[in-house]
Amino acid sequence: MAPIQKLLSAFIIALTVPVSASAADYSHYLRHIPPAENFGQVVLDNYSHKAGVLPVTFDHWLHRAKFTCRLCHIDIGFAMKAEMTEISAADNMSGYYCGACHDGKRVFDGRNIFGSCAENYTEDEGKRCARCHSSAEAEERKYDYKSFSEKLPKLPGNLIDWEKAESEGKVKLTDFLEGVSYKREPLKAQDDFTIKIRSWDVIFSHRKHTVWNGCELCHPMIFPSTKRGTTKYSMFQIMMKGEYCGVCHTSVAFSVWLCAKCHITLVE
Amino acid sequence: MKNFSRFTLLSLLFLYLFFGNCIVGNFSSVYAQDDWKQEYSSVCAKTQNAMILTPEELKSYIDRCDKLLALINELEGEQAATEKKVYTKRVKMCRELYQFALEYKEHK
Repeated sequence: MAPIQKLLSAFIIALTVPVSASAADYSHYLRHIPPAENFGQVVLDNYSHKAGVLPVTFDHWLHRAKFTCRLCHIDIGFAMKAEMTEISAADNMSGYYCGACHDGKRVFDGRNIFGSCAENYTEDEGKRCARCHSSAEAEERKYDYKSFSEKLPKLPGNLIDWEKAESEGKVKLTDFLEGVSYKREPLKAQDDFTIKIRSWDVIFSHRKHTVWNGCELCHPMIFPSTKRGTTKYSMFQIMMKGEYCGVCHTSVAFSVWLCAKCHITLVE
Repeated sequence: MKNFSRFTLLSLLFLYLFFGNCIVGNFSSVYAQDDWKQEYSSVCAKTQNAMILTPEELKSYIDRCDKLLALINELEGEQAATEKKVYTKRVKMCRELYQFALEYKEHK
């Protein structure tokens, strides 16, 4: 790790861990977390503006409540960074990416999933474009965070507690999409392990992560090291650059600012 | 008689070359299309258990991924650009995981 990054990491920790506050009191950290309705929001504009439509505003929370991470990021093939997939309308119309579900035919929860893109459409059908090609507040979106998340368990910062929501049966995640997913053998999760960080150890649960992600979502793309302890990464890289744990925990999974969710010795 | 045999033989040869090629050609291209998708499903189905595969098994899967990537790269047709983009990424993810598991085992 570069000395400057070490220094910045120490600075971040000094800023974020108030001496007087108990570790599980998140009131000091909440100002760093974006509003829950915008947490994990992705704006896609590879081709939209050029095609004369607004960029796509994608809400992670809406899709996260229905599907596992693996289904979208492995089976369907969405990249883990915004705009890296370079989705085109032609891709969607061929039944890939958004079009894998949004084909106008597939039924989910007893409802037809609206079709994503079309070459020819009437003015009325064109309104459908705005369900994705619009700002998050647009009327055409049909969902708003407040009513959608009302009955779901929450974390500090009004973020949805996905783990609890699933264990309480409030969300049932689909992990297989007919015609898209391939059949996998049952998962044999690797052991959990402890990451020693000064006095604030992290217990990493492979089981909790693989159940939604599989293996290839993290290895080797996010965590390339094949020998435990050889890759050193800092809180600066995680929190500010969105690397390592920060790839998911600055976007869709619980926020990195909820320190004690990982650094268990802070709680103890 | 000699002319008749020659004519029959040439006709049969023509029929074989024309129709045989059409039938086999069409069949094989359809079959090949299904074949690479089946191979994709088969080769990536083991990713969940990559860590319990032996180094030999992992090498074999990596080899199969490489062959599959070459096949995908040669796809032609209306949807080829999209299929190439989607499946190249998917197969690469499987391949890289097998490579990761192999290196992990070798370090161990």
